[in-house]
Amino acid sequence: MSLNINFAMLAPEILLTVLAFVIIIMGLLISNKSKNMLGYLSAAGILASLVYVIGNGMTEKVSYFYDSLVVDPLSQVFKLIFLIVSLIAVIASIEYFKDNRNQDEYYALILMSTVGMMVVASANDLIALFVGFELASMSTYVLAGFEKNNPSSLEAALKYFIIGSLSSALMLFGMSLIYGITSTTNIPGIIEFFRSAPLMAESSLGVLAMIFLVAGFGFKMALVPFHMWAPDTYEGSPSVVSSLLAAGSKKMGFVAAFRVLVLALVAIRADVHFTFAILAIITMTYGNVVAVSQRSIKRMLAYSSIAQAGYIALAFVVTTPMSIAGGILLALGHALMKGGAFIAVAVVGYMVLSDNKNAKNIDDLENFAGLGKRAPITALGFFVFFLALAGIPPSAGFIGKLFLFYSITVQAISLSSSWLLLVVVIAILNSALSIYYYARVIKYMYVLPPKGERIKEPTAYVVAILIAVIGTIGIGLYPEPFINMAMNAAQVLGV
Amino acid sequence: MGLYSYLLISIIIFTIGVYGIITQRSGIKILMCIELLLNSANLNLVAFSSYNGNSTGQVFALFSIAIAAAEAAIGFAILVALFRLRDTINLDNINILRW
Repeated sequence: MSLNINFAMLAPEILLTVLAFVIIIMGLLISNKSKNMLGYLSAAGILASLVYVIGNGMTEKVSYFYDSLVVDPLSQVFKLIFLIVSLIAVIASIEYFKDNRNQDEYYALILMSTVGMMVVASANDLIALFVGFELASMSTYVLAGFEKNNPSSLEAALKYFIIGSLSSALMLFGMSLIYGITSTTNIPGIIEFFRSAPLMAESSLGVLAMIFLVAGFGFKMALVPFHMWAPDTYEGSPSVVSSLLAAGSKKMGFVAAFRVLVLALVAIRADVHFTFAILAIITMTYGNVVAVSQRSIKRMLAYSSIAQAGYIALAFVVTTPMSIAGGILLALGHALMKGGAFIAVAVVGYMVLSDNKNAKNIDDLENFAGLGKRAPITALGFFVFFLALAGIPPSAGFIGKLFLFYSITVQAISLSSSWLLLVVVIAILNSALSIYYYARVIKYMYVLPPKGERIKEPTAYVVAILIAVIGTIGIGLYPEPFINMAMNAAQVLGV
Repeated sequence: MGLYSYLLISIIIFTIGVYGIITQRSGIKILMCIELLLNSANLNLVAFSSYNGNSTGQVFALFSIAIAAAEAAIGFAILVALFRLRDTINLDNINILRW
């Protein structure tokens, strides 16, 4: 508990914050035409932060600001996820928001939301957690409504705003109850208190606080029954923003849950695993079943992202180091696959709009007919992301699911509990079901005849998609370093 | 007034806020209800801070008041943009996106 004045480990956050303000000021000074360079500037800043985070690797734990922020393997892994996602989103935005006169605000908001997510990843205090959560949420409310002449973008923003601020209010209420019980907001201090006085944690006030926290984080993770904003928001927002929301903002809920809930659950040894199992199963089944009937690809991706949240939530069912590591691996994989898939939808939108300026429902399944001939790189991207989301090897999705399901099976055998095995079986059946709706899109792309000429795919989109494709397959082919990273991160939690 | 009176008031405010969010259809009223929720949590924090005898809760409340102000500003900005485009902020009319 001392003031650490060597801020070297916080350099990525500091760099991005400064860059965001620099971009706002530059936006006032430069002409609308030269604003296109701001995208390259933000991409360069994010890349520099990414290189810095990778260079530091899995460091020893360092704490800042009287123990309210820590830099440890867990925060490093999630910073890596957030930076990769926002790098992909920013590169794609260079094309998506080209010649938009509000670009400066857009890039500043993306950088701010990334900083917010990174603060949540290293939060060691409820105040820091709440502030980071709100910084990321508020920036993304505005980003969701960024196309202010498009009614569905604004509707998406309004729905996201109402549900999002309801969830942060619930979270704040839960935090206030936890502060009342433990009289501290420091997360290790809270855990310590619960460990020494388990009766307090099992009191009705303690249980109420936990329910509020689960609801608050659950909204961000889009677990059923807190999911209803997700499909509308992902469908209505600009595709590049959907990719940031689905791939980045959702992981923020998970890292917050890992930091607070997992520790609290372990400390009080409460038997809530069954509750999480039911939550996870309902979430994945609902997401997959509803996704089958969708014609809009963005909406289908949104429901499949709800299903993936169900798989990741399986990490809370057994809370062994291995299951947490599996959850982190799947979170990393999902960030790449889903981020890339939404960017690829943006290319389809670009293609349809270049055919016909007034096209409606640009992400309809019909527009995917013959995509393999019209936009080969995008179609290849979809092919890889969909197979990876369904869990086909060699891909990041396969490694994550394998690790997660294996860890639960191990626990089921060691506890000889039949319901845990049942959970694994249901999860695998769900994976099989998801192949159906992914394969349908692949059929449209490669089997059906194209409806137009081949288009030239814009370079920015191609770069963003290729980064995601290489990441997805790379993790599948060389999983060892990533597994080590996730295991290190899980060890921090000391479960 | 003991701690319980403050907690009781805070729970009442919280319930009014949740009830309002569920029943009201006007965007502005929903925004007001969200403020009620945040302020009931602030009341909790300050009451607990005084009861526990440490000041962390008051610091937390100050942070959350500032955040609530920013949140309200963003909410109104979204509502104004929507009103310009659609001439309504009644949530029943805002229904383009559905399955």
